[in-house]
Amino acid sequence: MIAAGSGLAAFLFFATCLCAELQAQTPSASPPPATLYKDYVDEAGRPVRVPQPVQRIVSLAPSLTETIYALGLQDRLVGDTDYCDYPADAQKKPKVGGAINPSLEQVVALRPDLVLVTKGLNRVETVNALDGLAIPSYATDPHTVQEIISSTQRLADVLGVPEAGVALGADLQRHLTDLQQRLSVLPPRRVLFIVWSDPLISVGKGTFIADAMRLAGATSIVDSAQDWPHISLEEIVRLQPDFLVFAASHSESGQNDFDVLAERPGWRGLEAVRNRRFAVISDAVNRPAPRIVSAIEDLARQLHPEAFSAQPGDDKEKKIPPPAQPQPSLFVLDSSIQVPALLEVCACAL
Amino acid sequence: MRPLTLSRLLVQCAILSAVLFIVVVVALKLGAVPVSLYGLGHDLLRVLFRQTSQLSSEYQLIIFDIRLPRILLGIFVGASLSVAGASFQALLRNPLADPYVLGVSSGAAVGAIIALIVEPHLALAPAVAALLTPVGAFLGAALTVTAVYFLGLREGQIDSGTLLLAGIISASFLQAIIMFFMSTLTGGNYRGMAFWMMGELSTPPQRIVSLILRFGFFLAAAAIYTTASDLNLLLAGEKEAMHLGVDVRRVRLVVYIAASLLTGLAVSVSGAIGYVGLLVPHVMRLLFGSDHRILLPTAAFGGAIAVVVADTLARTVVSPAELPVGAMTAIAGAPLFLYLMRRRLA
Repeated sequence: MIAAGSGLAAFLFFATCLCAELQAQTPSASPPPATLYKDYVDEAGRPVRVPQPVQRIVSLAPSLTETIYALGLQDRLVGDTDYCDYPADAQKKPKVGGAINPSLEQVVALRPDLVLVTKGLNRVETVNALDGLAIPSYATDPHTVQEIISSTQRLADVLGVPEAGVALGADLQRHLTDLQQRLSVLPPRRVLFIVWSDPLISVGKGTFIADAMRLAGATSIVDSAQDWPHISLEEIVRLQPDFLVFAASHSESGQNDFDVLAERPGWRGLEAVRNRRFAVISDAVNRPAPRIVSAIEDLARQLHPEAFSAQPGDDKEKKIPPPAQPQPSLFVLDSSIQVPALLEVCACAL
Repeated sequence: MRPLTLSRLLVQCAILSAVLFIVVVVALKLGAVPVSLYGLGHDLLRVLFRQTSQLSSEYQLIIFDIRLPRILLGIFVGASLSVAGASFQALLRNPLADPYVLGVSSGAAVGAIIALIVEPHLALAPAVAALLTPVGAFLGAALTVTAVYFLGLREGQIDSGTLLLAGIISASFLQAIIMFFMSTLTGGNYRGMAFWMMGELSTPPQRIVSLILRFGFFLAAAAIYTTASDLNLLLAGEKEAMHLGVDVRRVRLVVYIAASLLTGLAVSVSGAIGYVGLLVPHVMRLLFGSDHRILLPTAAFGGAIAVVVADTLARTVVSPAELPVGAMTAIAGAPLFLYLMRRRLA
């Protein structure tokens, strides 16, 4: 009898919980106000119904925030992530947390017409949760520099500013074409792109960073199908890269990274280390956004200075703007690069 | 053991449900988006009286579609883990037993990861594909429990020391397999997986999955509750219990299956949340005594309270970003465990 009583008490409580939600489900059934919609298929292959016009955008990736600014849509950006630090104005937007663990309720509170995500950084679960709340989300998924440009143009279409997309795309394309002309006759440099130095993580051949290296007149010596492969130093010594490439928020910090590496046992075995042959470029190269083109130009200038010495034949050559001033950035903490770091955290925790 | 009276039991359950209610209200109020207590009370009353049209739509979405489902998920996950822990501890007569230590949580994680890996290769309808991960986690938990059970047998009898060792070794083996998968496979949603492995409630499960979780909880908890008096006698030892007329084989089977079901369900929706199954039953034993007829319901409430509190902290400490709830339970749980252990020694 007593047992039944306590079972009943517990049962009643949990049954109340059950009912609480069943009742709570009712309000969510109210239909959204009638608006105009346009249907798109995003780069993850999902159909997306985008309200027209898109007035309130939430970006869940630093690269997408940069793209929105590059398209001149910053006034419609109503929220972004803690790691959206470029341009500086993006830091002042309301924050919704990190790209991997955003606060859904913060996103909802910003009443977005459209949430932008990128497949390489955000989680499927976030997208599913947004679907469940009937908030439209559009995913990009660029894997090469060309795809970054075409993806930017598609995004401009979705956001209702196709002309801005065409203009931006043409401008980026012009810079890349010019670069290819200068570099076409030069043999590519063999480089090691260092994503993370301890443990040593580089980039796989399928990443947009590897593609950016190619466009800058370099080939990554790492030929891995994994996106962020963990490489052994032995392998690096065997492959002997011509240059080490660091992506850093400041050129001094990149220099610092090199000095730290050079002190480590084994790294003296690299000719590039003994001869201090390394390049430091803006960490814009880590983000699949339009600014990557300036990082590519910057790298090309450091790897192939001879191609950029004054050429009298280049009469109508447009002056290449200096690479964007690198911003202090925490991006590495938030990018996919974080995977190995997270793994370690998990390993310790479990 | 003090004699059990209905009034004592009801008073204790009433106290705990009052605490849980307060915790739930606080959890509904706190979050990245500030909500006033007055507005919250207003909205809750309106929902109760079904005047839902008067709610402001933002709050409605945030409170009723984001916070409340998450809190309810936390309640059921916490209650499941805690009841599973209490019954494993009684069955194995070992204070260290819990789903996490026995490797069940890791088994569920491996199952979920294998499901994530094979999912793109199977042409499944989206509704079925969404169920694949929880089903994988449940199968992983069930297989691990079975394997650990057989590894823990000694001359046909369960030996609790051997069983615990088998569980600990299986857990670290399964962890190694997870690390192997995660560092060798390319592509896929592994970023999410890493976060998920530490336990999190931020991803609402499919509606059907949460219904299965709730009914599964009632079913399994009720099954365990039917053995509550037998578990009390088992505390004296298996032989002694057998002499007192307990069908030890049946009790073991019922509790083992039901507790695995609870763990598998909980892990499949929330990932591996540690310390709840281990600690909450100990705290409840200190507060309310070790009579399982009281311990099992109070542990359910205690687990629910613990997980909702931990998840509220996980949501608010670094707001608007979020921490994995497993990190919160470990940060709070490990020192508490050490304190309880030292206190027992003193």
